[in-house]
Amino acid sequence: MDLAALKTQLKNFVQSMFEEGVLDNQFSQIQALQDSTNPNFVEEVITLFCNDAERIINEINRNLGYQNVDFSNLDSYVHQLKGSSSSIGANRLKLACANLRQASDERNKEGCLQALQLITCEYCLLRRKFQALLHLERSIVELETNQK
Amino acid sequence: MAPTLPSGDQASDQDNWDNGRLAHKRQLLTEIVLRNRLTALVVDGDTTCRVLEQLLLRSYGVQTQGVDNGRDAVALIASGVKFNLIIIDMILPVLNGLEATRQIRDMGVHCKMLGVTACSGESERQAFLAAGVDVFIEKPLDPEHLVPILRELDGQ
Repeated sequence: MDLAALKTQLKNFVQSMFEEGVLDNQFSQIQALQDSTNPNFVEEVITLFCNDAERIINEINRNLGYQNVDFSNLDSYVHQLKGSSSSIGANRLKLACANLRQASDERNKEGCLQALQLITCEYCLLRRKFQALLHLERSIVELETNQK
Repeated sequence: MAPTLPSGDQASDQDNWDNGRLAHKRQLLTEIVLRNRLTALVVDGDTTCRVLEQLLLRSYGVQTQGVDNGRDAVALIASGVKFNLIIIDMILPVLNGLEATRQIRDMGVHCKMLGVTACSGESERQAFLAAGVDVFIEKPLDPEHLVPILRELDGQ
């Protein structure tokens, strides 16, 4: 596939993520921050976000495994995940965090477990799509490098 | 699992025009901000948020420093370092954002403080404003909120 076609495919793929609600306009802001001085910025931010998100989701899972759940501790993790999801433009994940926040406020452990399941699903979907996005970006960079 | 790619439609000319306009707006503002060398402190316990907020500020020519907890933010201000702008989250490790904000204001610091947080309730908004932030922003921090504030600081 040639460079122009790859770039179009990347643009369309990102657009599809917007249309599905997986990403919102905040991700466009992040893409706009990538330039010649920060050529790998999008990949770095996605990697950073995914590492943090997985750590937090594991911590939430662990907290909910206790018989007596520390809901205030849970709150701070949910807050962190919601914040980073918002900041990277992970729209559906951000909305799923709101569900967990509400269940946590109500001290509803069962509700929290259901909300965590949704968060995990949304995160896995997002991660798969991010992996595909980065695969495309790397292919583009490789082609551009080979053409120089 | 190997990534799979969906087929796509043609990209729109509107996208190209919007991207060009955004770059042009940012360039104009960078010229303004650079003349005044604004500085900002970003206080956020989440690495992704802190990195993004710092880079957004830097893209407008603002020099930034970041800390990941409220205690370090208070200590930095107490050491005499001055900023034009402080961006602070509400929920922070060690010392929370509300208390950190109060302590910073109690030191007589009058710079612009933005409370940028994932919290979205009215009671949280009121609490953060009462603690001393000038503006409450629900994450994400975006140019629509930031640019008017930077213009205001640049004009002072």
